[in-house]
Amino acid sequence: MSELALALPRPSHLPILLVVGTAVVFGTIGARLFQRLGIPQVVAYICLGLLVGPMALGLIGPRTIRQLQPFSFFALGVIGFMIGGELRLELLRKYGKTFLAILLSEGLGAFVLVGTLVTSTCWLLTGDARLSLALGTVLGAISSATAPAATVDVLWEYKTRGILTTTVFAIVAMDDGLSLLLYALAASAAGVLLGTAGGGGWLLLMGHVAYELAGAVLLGAAAGMAVNVALRHPCDHQKALPFMIGSLALLIGLARMLDVDLILATMSFGAVLVNLAPRRSRAAFEVMEDVAPPIYVLFFVMVGARLHIAGMAGWMWALAGSYLIGRTAGKMLGAYLGARWSGAAQSVRKYLGLCLFSQAGVAIGLSILAADRFPGDMGLAIMMIVTATTFVVQIIGPPCVKLAVKRAGEVGLKVTERDLMESYTVGQMVDSSIPAINFKSPLAEVVRIVGQTDATSYPVVSETGELMGVITLEGLRRSFMDEELTKVLVAYDIMESPPDAVTEDVPLAEGMSKMHEQHLTYLPVVSAKDGRLIGLLDERTVKRRLSEEVIRRQRLAAAQVGPEAQHEPATQPAGPPKS
Amino acid sequence: MNLAEYLPPDRVLLLKGRTKADALAELADVLGEAGLGVGREELREAIWKREGIMSTGIGQGLAVPHVRMPGVKTAAVAVGISPEGIADYESLDNQPVHLIVMIVAPEDEHETYLRLLAEIMQAVKDPELRRRIIQAPDTQTAHSLLVKER
Repeated sequence: MSELALALPRPSHLPILLVVGTAVVFGTIGARLFQRLGIPQVVAYICLGLLVGPMALGLIGPRTIRQLQPFSFFALGVIGFMIGGELRLELLRKYGKTFLAILLSEGLGAFVLVGTLVTSTCWLLTGDARLSLALGTVLGAISSATAPAATVDVLWEYKTRGILTTTVFAIVAMDDGLSLLLYALAASAAGVLLGTAGGGGWLLLMGHVAYELAGAVLLGAAAGMAVNVALRHPCDHQKALPFMIGSLALLIGLARMLDVDLILATMSFGAVLVNLAPRRSRAAFEVMEDVAPPIYVLFFVMVGARLHIAGMAGWMWALAGSYLIGRTAGKMLGAYLGARWSGAAQSVRKYLGLCLFSQAGVAIGLSILAADRFPGDMGLAIMMIVTATTFVVQIIGPPCVKLAVKRAGEVGLKVTERDLMESYTVGQMVDSSIPAINFKSPLAEVVRIVGQTDATSYPVVSETGELMGVITLEGLRRSFMDEELTKVLVAYDIMESPPDAVTEDVPLAEGMSKMHEQHLTYLPVVSAKDGRLIGLLDERTVKRRLSEEVIRRQRLAAAQVGPEAQHEPATQPAGPPKS
Repeated sequence: MNLAEYLPPDRVLLLKGRTKADALAELADVLGEAGLGVGREELREAIWKREGIMSTGIGQGLAVPHVRMPGVKTAAVAVGISPEGIADYESLDNQPVHLIVMIVAPEDEHETYLRLLAEIMQAVKDPELRRRIIQAPDTQTAHSLLVKER
């Protein structure tokens, strides 16, 4: 791959818009291809990033990545905001202890196992106990973080709902805070071991961590309260969109300026908003959901482009292997034990661990801090190990999340009518029970047939079953203007010309769109093979069936939680639709 | 709805033909030459096709052949009077038809079409009025009787 990269002509830098356009267009295309293979879309984005980044084609370099950093911050902010929207007080009250137990268990599980394995491996390689323990401690702390972005993108892509999904949201939202705390302690301890710690080092670090976390929560909460006031004034989608984007960008900018945790700040923003105004804030989450997809694509492509592990020494690979094994085992075992001790649902005990593999922003950020704090081989090793393992877990993490939610039976339970409209075909919604009326039928016969069903439109067919027209209730009503007239009218006289039919394989959204374009409430559906009339696509029937299906899936999701948790929150943001 | 707008005096005629086919052809020819946008042959064919579905002879000497067609610009009515009666019309009561009211309308003017039919039924509902129309001394008088305000 690197030879190919050398062979290609490389401009000194690609224009930013070209990078953005390329990333979004090809990321979207790649995602579609990966989805057909059953692989989460986020893997496609990361692979594209790997392809265009320094490891392969080198079309995107560090300068471009730096220039696009604001997009990455915005994407992280949107992700934090949407996660916050899932954290309802009633859920936290109900499951707060469970979440806390699992959080501590999986975070500390990874910390202990990674710390142990890395320390042991390093000691075997170097014979230096202090160095090994310092390295193991710092890497153990870094390993406790779970990247929310890739994990929640899978949950949104597969429209999951249930206790496992809720738990994942809570854990990935909160374990950033735990890893920051652990890192502060670990870095201080490592400094002591290596003799590099200053007098106020530990206190200063803890103080800084407390400021980062508490400051983020307070800032986000203040933003949530301010926007809640603004939302009391009704406004349409056109105005809501720029307002929400602006508010979020403002919050992200402030978080960066004040050096508080960005994800926690935006998560706090979303959580406060959804709890203060669950119904009013729905529109706010929906507009972010509409605007977010291209930003996510760009974000994950940049994640892939940043991964650069060429030229890693063999001993670093050994340490990376220990890190990976320790982190995977620690997360899975810790999640299982924490879920078990806290009495969490079976699906959480069995599958939560699989959802916690992803690692990115926080881990890489902490590794950079560590490289700065511990210069030389140790710092370099930390950076390279975290980067290499991020590369692996970002590829395997999302498919593991998919496997987990699929096994837990939570896929496809969080759908809106709009989502179903996009996934169904006309054939799945056509009402073939509506009786066809022969064009020669006298009016009395037409009335008899209409009286037997509750349909509002009826196809009129020839002797050979060919569609000739449609009788609507309105048209039928008009035919009763004179009693004598009814003696000479037949279906042929009162039918309306048929609109253009659709075939059963057409997507439902397209069929409904065609219906509305013609200002109709029905559309004939014919067979794609032989043009034979199958039935009518009736607007009222479609709406009713979609609504029934949404309710059925909500009930299914609620049933998985258990009888004590049958009450579903009033609103929940649906997350971005499939790209 | 004002029937006079759709039925000018020159479209009320004394039928020469004594058969259903001839009578309908005469009326179709009158409408075909009225500048409606369709020719007489097309009209004859469409009317005859509709008759093939179900006879429009509603009984008591009255028939209302009607059709909606593509190409027709505006709805129009023609009336044929046959004092001797059209015996082969196949009316509901199997009696000869003396008064034929032919209606043509554009294909998509569903409501106008049915309203016109209803208006005509109202106009000729009264048996005494029907008798006077059939026995009118001339077509002008017949026209006046048909379109007078009620």
